[in-house]
Amino acid sequence: MRLARSRGGSALARSSRPAGVLLGALLSVSAAWAGDWETLVADGERWWSRSPALDQPVACATCHHDPDAIRGWAGSFPKVRPMPPPYTRVMTLLQATAEAVERHYALRDARLPAVAISAFLAARGVGLPITPGVTPDQPIFPTRMRALAESVERGRRLYARRCGACHAAATIAPRAGGFLRATAEPMELFLEGHRPAGPPIPWNSLAMADLLAYLLGHRVGEPVTAGGPPEVQEVSR
Amino acid sequence: MRRRAWVVTVPIWIGLVAVPVVSDARSVITGTVRSQAGQPLAGLVLLEKGEIHNNVWHGGALVDATGRFRIELQAGGPYGVHVYASGYIYAPQAVRVESDKTLELSVTLVPEPTRANDPTIKRAGFFPWEARQGKVTFVKLDVGDPNDDLGPQVMAFNAATGQAYAMRPPRPVRDLKANFPQGVYQLEIDTSRAPANPRDWYFVVADHQCNTTDILSFPHEPKPPRVVQ
Repeated sequence: MRLARSRGGSALARSSRPAGVLLGALLSVSAAWAGDWETLVADGERWWSRSPALDQPVACATCHHDPDAIRGWAGSFPKVRPMPPPYTRVMTLLQATAEAVERHYALRDARLPAVAISAFLAARGVGLPITPGVTPDQPIFPTRMRALAESVERGRRLYARRCGACHAAATIAPRAGGFLRATAEPMELFLEGHRPAGPPIPWNSLAMADLLAYLLGHRVGEPVTAGGPPEVQEVSR
Repeated sequence: MRRRAWVVTVPIWIGLVAVPVVSDARSVITGTVRSQAGQPLAGLVLLEKGEIHNNVWHGGALVDATGRFRIELQAGGPYGVHVYASGYIYAPQAVRVESDKTLELSVTLVPEPTRANDPTIKRAGFFPWEARQGKVTFVKLDVGDPNDDLGPQVMAFNAATGQAYAMRPPRPVRDLKANFPQGVYQLEIDTSRAPANPRDWYFVVADHQCNTTDILSFPHEPKPPRVVQ
């Protein structure tokens, strides 16, 4: 893995293409995070299985105890997360997990446990296809799919406005989503910090969900992979 | 001014709760409720009409001792199904019912590992409104919560009509994700045609973390909750 990072960084230095810049940016962050994927997944399993509060022993796994039932979750995002009105909206896996962790574990900052749990869920879903809005063995709700389609369209416009000048969507989209293989960093956090122009897009915002709904829409049918899309893994080897 | 607002809002509220749930029903939700060990569980199923967690409560049914329930619907579409059994964490589930079809559900409930965090129902009562000559009865529920994170699910269910209600909190709460106040929740029911029969009424409360009270049935005398072994 360390060698792979080094090669990825070299590739960045040689590349002059916009897509290469983004990919290189993804890989360059890896020094602090690389090699931590397995650790992150293990952390996530711990968060999933045990509540951090001694007086509130209900953990995620208490209710979601069927391993088969959660396998399809990672590939089903972004999707509409139903909540009390007016909060129902499209969310990424990380965003939905953070919302649930904040509520059920009563944590003020749910981001880090949510990152770990999302990694755990992504690892559980490896090999299943990416199907935004559609969860295996769950009904499909037309209203939710319409909301997701609207999210994709907002994401398309946002991408054109914020990202399109440097990165061709057709090149970037196949590399988007989930976690970055080399850095074990969720795409939402990377993109929040990647702001050559304009204000940041907060990792937990609807705008971020829209952006990733648009990008992941290009990857429908591909399998979920541990730690990121295949192209990123390929380059990092 | 305050009195005028009360006069206006009460008839609206009564009108809302007086609508019958079942007529010419064709779409059906039915199912079985069990523990993880496969034991059938008696309890309560309550429905939201539309998207789950929208707090638009519609109907429900009792779950019998064999774990079976059946709810006839006026129309197909999306519903939020919430299943409760005493001693178990309630289970929410979004479903889509096809028109003129029966949806069969299999629900497994998980016991609450502790009851220390559960909301508590301290008292329940039925109070005819004398000024309306008994045409309106207030159903009141005194609710507490050790974690102070009550949500909108302070629920009443009339088994005679199949209607479910989220009871009105002691003070208005606009944000459904906010922690709801502890205190006396209430519901105004139309008793112009027949008096309220307390035997028909069931109550259950779940907080934001899914800690759930026992189902309180007639004679509505709360008992200390116990952990299911």
